[in-house]
Amino acid sequence: MTATQGAAPQGTVPEEGLSGAGDWLVAPDLAPDAADPVMAPLYAAAARGALALPFCAACGAALELEQYVCDACGASAEIGTPGREWRDVPLVGTVHAATLVHRREPGLIVATGPYPVIDVELTSGHRLVLTTATPSGQAPEIGAPVEIAFRTVGAVTLPAVRVLRPPQVIRTTRE
Amino acid sequence: MSQAPAITGLGMTEMSVTAGPDSYALATEAVAAALADAGLDRGDVDGLLVGSSQGVREDRLGVALARRAGFGDLRLLEHLEIKGATAVAMVTRAVLAIGAGMARTVLCVFADAPIGAGKAAGSTYAQSGGNSGVRGLERASGVLGSVPTFALLASRYLHVSGGSEADLCAVAVAARAWATGSPQAVNRKPLDEDGYYASRMISTPLRVLDCARPVNGAVAVIVSSVRPAGRAAPAIEIRGMGAVHPMRRRRAGGESWFGGGGQAVDDALAMAGTSRDGLDVVELYDPFSIVTLCLLEEYGFCATGQAGKFVRGGGIAPGGELPVNTGGGQLSGFYLQGMTPLAEALRQLRGDGGDRQVPGAQTALVTGIGGRVDHHEALILARAAA
Repeated sequence: MTATQGAAPQGTVPEEGLSGAGDWLVAPDLAPDAADPVMAPLYAAAARGALALPFCAACGAALELEQYVCDACGASAEIGTPGREWRDVPLVGTVHAATLVHRREPGLIVATGPYPVIDVELTSGHRLVLTTATPSGQAPEIGAPVEIAFRTVGAVTLPAVRVLRPPQVIRTTRE
Repeated sequence: MSQAPAITGLGMTEMSVTAGPDSYALATEAVAAALADAGLDRGDVDGLLVGSSQGVREDRLGVALARRAGFGDLRLLEHLEIKGATAVAMVTRAVLAIGAGMARTVLCVFADAPIGAGKAAGSTYAQSGGNSGVRGLERASGVLGSVPTFALLASRYLHVSGGSEADLCAVAVAARAWATGSPQAVNRKPLDEDGYYASRMISTPLRVLDCARPVNGAVAVIVSSVRPAGRAAPAIEIRGMGAVHPMRRRRAGGESWFGGGGQAVDDALAMAGTSRDGLDVVELYDPFSIVTLCLLEEYGFCATGQAGKFVRGGGIAPGGELPVNTGGGQLSGFYLQGMTPLAEALRQLRGDGGDRQVPGAQTALVTGIGGRVDHHEALILARAAA
């Protein structure tokens, strides 16, 4: 994981990896519930630096994170015979959509400038909405290649985006 | 005299942008107003359907309203939850219950009070959602409230359609132009393009004027097979109903918005025996300007990718060929989910639209959506022939 990526917003917070430093974007109160049975495998994988996502155990279709029954083949999660299995996937994708969030809720957002939120299409077939791993004040272009990296909120490690191609076009306010 | 179910009463509170009564008090006020409008007493009501905003609210409206608002014995009592599609779906449920002989007069009420003392609605939404499931991951990624989610939709839509912020601007300006004629609208000050572009950015490309106007308020409507004698307001018939809940998966290669809504509208039109050309007003669910663009295409009023051009040409504004959200919608009017389009359709069809009345409005399309444009409900309402 590189130390920095993208333009840092004004008055940026300490860099990732410093001992005791919090997440660049959100307060620890927003840490996900890592024991949440729906999502626990994702957080367990993230803690070892991998991205695990759910697939149909029968036909291999990519499932949504909260999906238990495959819509492609109908295999269900019966007791004792899980219909979905979590597999590590390549940390590679592209930007489906992106926004730069200007509104920062006091107490929950610790970044001092606008921050990106990115809808990522992964080569595994899944979609995830994530922010960047390191401080950024830019939204990437749709179609830009990205890698999945990680950030830590509270005690929970979660996937994040590393943008491989910075925006080429600065959008004007008016055409 | 028993007849086909129709909407015979409408009650609305003031739409407040400051802290005040809780959602139960607001709902009770709207219920009283609807009963008075319909010329009914509480004892005439044998069905109560309750809807409330999803999310984390201590005073979330529920079936306890029946006791608090002084109702007698009821035959139908239910809290509906289909996300934003709830309010429009309540009318459908009322019609079905009446048609099945399970009730005669059903009161449908929705109330919300996101604005607290010293707390804007935006903070209420940002602090709601919890830390589990996909929502937990997204909230930890900075997705607070629903604006960033719809900003992603807008980002994608403009990319695919080749549109620009000017398309969003045109929706917001048209909504405001309608709102200037509506006493029920919260934001009535005239708005031009400069004013739109000067408004603060919330989440690119959505500015504050691209987002619904939250209020504390309530709306109640009465669906009944009974027509009290001597009433002034005409009964509004429910000619068509349609609903589609498309199970679109968010997967790589798929788009983010299309599907289902057009079928819901087609079904409602078919039941009503009319077509899109037979509609005088369209009242759709517009929590964000981008949703108006998506739904104009989804419902078949514009070809794919052409909604922006249509709206920029004045197509949905006062005087345009397709009057849309004639009370200012949720953007400039007030955000009470599906009650916003429903209440405005009733005003137009009753001829109570005042300065924004669409001349001769006889037939309206009313829609509700829920989630991330995941649930679609549609009604065709019509003023009964004199």
